[in-house]
Amino acid sequence: MKEKGKPATQDISPKNSFMSASYPAGDGFAKAIRAVLTKALDDQVFEAVMMPLKVPKTEAFAWTLLDDTKLLEHASPLPPVMTIQGGKALSELTKHGELIERTAVLLRPCETRAAVELFKLKQINLENITLISIDCPGAVPLSDYLSDPENQARKFQDLMEENGDEDALRPVCRICDKFSIPAPAEGGMEEGGHAADVHIGFLGQKGKRLLLFPLTEKGRTLVEGLGLKAESPENSWETAVQTMTDARRKNRQAFNKDFLSRISGPDPFSEMFDACINCHNCMRACPICYCQQCYYDSEAIRLPSENYLERAKKRGGLRFPLDTLLFHLGRMSHMVLSCVSCGACEDACPASIPVGQIFSLVGDQTQSSFEYVPGINRLQPLPLQAFREDEFCEVEIPCECGEGQAPSEVNKNA
Amino acid sequence: MNEKIGVYVCECGPNIPDRIDIDKVLAEVSVIDGVKTAKKFGLLCSPDGKNFLEEDIKKEELTHAVIAACSPRDHEQTFMTVAVKAGLNPYLTQLVNIREQCAWIYSDKQEATRMAIKSIRAGISRVKHHLSLTKKELEMNPDVLVIGGGVAGVEACLSLAGTGRRIYLVEKAEELGGTVSKLGALIPHQGTAVDLFGEKIDRVRAQDDIEVITGHDVTSARGFLGNFEIEIEPQGDSSEIRNLQVGAVVIATGFGLLSSEHLDTNNGEKNPNIVSALEFESMLAQNAVVGKDGKPPRSVALIHCVGRAELGYCSKVCCLYMIKYAHHLKSMDASTKVTSFYTDLCLPDKSDQAYYDEAVKQGIRFLRSDAPSIQSAEGQVTVEYSTGGGKSASEKFDLVVLAPAMVPGEDTARLADMFNLPLDDTGFFKEIHMMLDPVATPIEGVFVTGCAMGPRNIPETITQSQAAAGKILGSLIPGRKLEPEVKVSEVRADFCTGCQTCLTVCFYAAISFDESRGISVVNEAICRGCGSCVGSCPSGAIRAKHFTYPQIYREVLEILS
Repeated sequence: MKEKGKPATQDISPKNSFMSASYPAGDGFAKAIRAVLTKALDDQVFEAVMMPLKVPKTEAFAWTLLDDTKLLEHASPLPPVMTIQGGKALSELTKHGELIERTAVLLRPCETRAAVELFKLKQINLENITLISIDCPGAVPLSDYLSDPENQARKFQDLMEENGDEDALRPVCRICDKFSIPAPAEGGMEEGGHAADVHIGFLGQKGKRLLLFPLTEKGRTLVEGLGLKAESPENSWETAVQTMTDARRKNRQAFNKDFLSRISGPDPFSEMFDACINCHNCMRACPICYCQQCYYDSEAIRLPSENYLERAKKRGGLRFPLDTLLFHLGRMSHMVLSCVSCGACEDACPASIPVGQIFSLVGDQTQSSFEYVPGINRLQPLPLQAFREDEFCEVEIPCECGEGQAPSEVNKNA
Repeated sequence: MNEKIGVYVCECGPNIPDRIDIDKVLAEVSVIDGVKTAKKFGLLCSPDGKNFLEEDIKKEELTHAVIAACSPRDHEQTFMTVAVKAGLNPYLTQLVNIREQCAWIYSDKQEATRMAIKSIRAGISRVKHHLSLTKKELEMNPDVLVIGGGVAGVEACLSLAGTGRRIYLVEKAEELGGTVSKLGALIPHQGTAVDLFGEKIDRVRAQDDIEVITGHDVTSARGFLGNFEIEIEPQGDSSEIRNLQVGAVVIATGFGLLSSEHLDTNNGEKNPNIVSALEFESMLAQNAVVGKDGKPPRSVALIHCVGRAELGYCSKVCCLYMIKYAHHLKSMDASTKVTSFYTDLCLPDKSDQAYYDEAVKQGIRFLRSDAPSIQSAEGQVTVEYSTGGGKSASEKFDLVVLAPAMVPGEDTARLADMFNLPLDDTGFFKEIHMMLDPVATPIEGVFVTGCAMGPRNIPETITQSQAAAGKILGSLIPGRKLEPEVKVSEVRADFCTGCQTCLTVCFYAAISFDESRGISVVNEAICRGCGSCVGSCPSGAIRAKHFTYPQIYREVLEILS
């Protein structure tokens, strides 16, 4: 696809330096966040908060909408696991109209990106909502956590303190390069395009402070409402983020190459789904899958038994549950352009299929054909909904802009 | 499965029996589940054939009918009409093409017969999933919207007035009149005074069935012939949107003039001794033809063809009005030296040559030169022009009048986009055929008249407006009914999540979003049944009537089995 048609950025700064305000965090990360949120609620910077709370006396975490600061005692801003994808939780809240009270929502970066994609799909109404994203070291696999919560929580804590073992993380987290503010690579984001309104950074700060980065008008209102001023870039944070991003990017490229070779071709690909029981849990956990009824749960794919008998006879045998591969390929074709690699699907799979990794890989490849990065720019339209005349070059011969293939060349290749 | 399907194989004369074993076909299809009867007939589209079909449908009490015959392009409508007569919903029929798509392409009779049976099986599988659809009837709206209140628009209104319809004349300026009302005088043999046009404007305002809406822009348009939905709003004020429902639209938005800034302005300062045609017209109108010094000019240069070489077309009207200026200047003071510099002289109408000869007789010089150059200094303006053979000369003049090329009006591109109208290379609206269909556009019900289509003089514009009106009068007859497309899309409310993807891909703007229910809704009167929305919906909440997934899938399944 051609370069033309990309929206021009308005920010003219050559390097993407973000200004932040500092907040003391000597007593611990979670405590500092709680303090910030409590102050904000008390000072009525916003009226409600939505974030994960740790369910008392259990190892579970629950997304909670609250306005009672006492409940914040149980706040767990960055749980070691991702239970429900935050974007999905938020869409349940705002599907049918805007919130009438100002609400802050704390999300992991991938949850923020999912929320932005859902916003573009009209499943989330962002009116009166302030999205707050947080630096995220990753999450541990749900099954690992459930079998040994204490140990896993400790491993996660080590990673929060930047001296943990990344092997403890979920596979998609190990290759995630968008764990902080996902500004476009060239530097600069259009006004109103930022995914989150405020970003909270802690990487490189050695647990001493939180950095609050206002990214939009709403974000500035929140930070100023807390009596803070975001006036300086923080070198130690930028360096830490850049180092980690480079490392993760390398991981991702290596993973994409390796995994691609393992699933290339119809047989290797279908073998990946050998254990699939067609429960559709991956679809249910996926924040992007927003349909009232999944096409693959509908009447459309049900056929009379004669059809199955005939297919069985033709192929020598027919496997049940039916159409497993069709479900995955179909779901891919419907949502992979918006896939934010959050891995909720892989956590949800009872058959331990690396579905998150598969969809991440396919996502990267298909999104790049449309020069589209899901969830990082609220103003970048979804590829399916954006008509770009220059895309005709690929199919219309001869094309108007003159850069398409000449008819003689097409006939040569035919 | 309580269908009673009738299968009728038409022999189409010798066409089909020569190549297909019809009796074998009948034997095979009559035992298919749901088929009540399978018969053949010589020529089903003949009066006898149609009678037979009608009687048999009634006799066998059929619930569906599959006709295996020629192409649907030929007789789908024929057999649907027979079904209606027989009391069967016409959409519970299916015409299977075993002539063009079978008998005429397979030379081997066995192969042709096999394929015919397969096609009919597919048609039967499909028809089992057909639903009764009801044709709707809409009143064709006879009202007309005329966009633009200049000569073209006013004439269109007058030609349509008094014919039993309402006409809306929407003009973006506060006053009617367009460019012609800014003219100081008309060309003598085309009209004696601008007042004539003023009379027409008065008549428009006096007509009861014409509503004049000035100071308004047209901001959106949807629909088709007999059924347009238009939105207009006061200039720059979107809070006062007004909806108009009309059956046809006449676009009469006129033209612009090429800017002459590169010739008449030096370092940001406009030279009052170099004026464009419109400026000269207003001088004429105010009887104030003077130069910078306030005195009438003793020498005037009339520069024709400004911008003609660059734009690549002749603006047709300028030579005539330049001669008009020359005559006026001479009549005010016969001693004034008037010189016309032209690249080509355009004198197309009957009286134009004589008008030109008159001018020459009065001592007006006509000099041929490619792109004369203009230099202004203190006081006089120097015109340097070519005299042929690579040589040039220059002269000084008190006043220079420029004839800038006519260019597309500033609203042309926006309206073209709004109504899906093509523009040609010059940027003006494009008619269907320059010679044979000069007022109609590819969009039925939308007409363009006057200079919006390209350089025109007033008589031509009047003619075009009358022609457009004539076409409208012939097609939008009050009381005539419109049958909108039946095979449109529909949204299943229970399955729609309101993502509005279908809305963004609809070319006809036929889908809107219902805020209160949070779902998309299809306007069945505007939907053309193209199916883009169906393809775009991931959950299958929107589907195309008569082209549903089960219908197509079952048909294809039979073909592939």
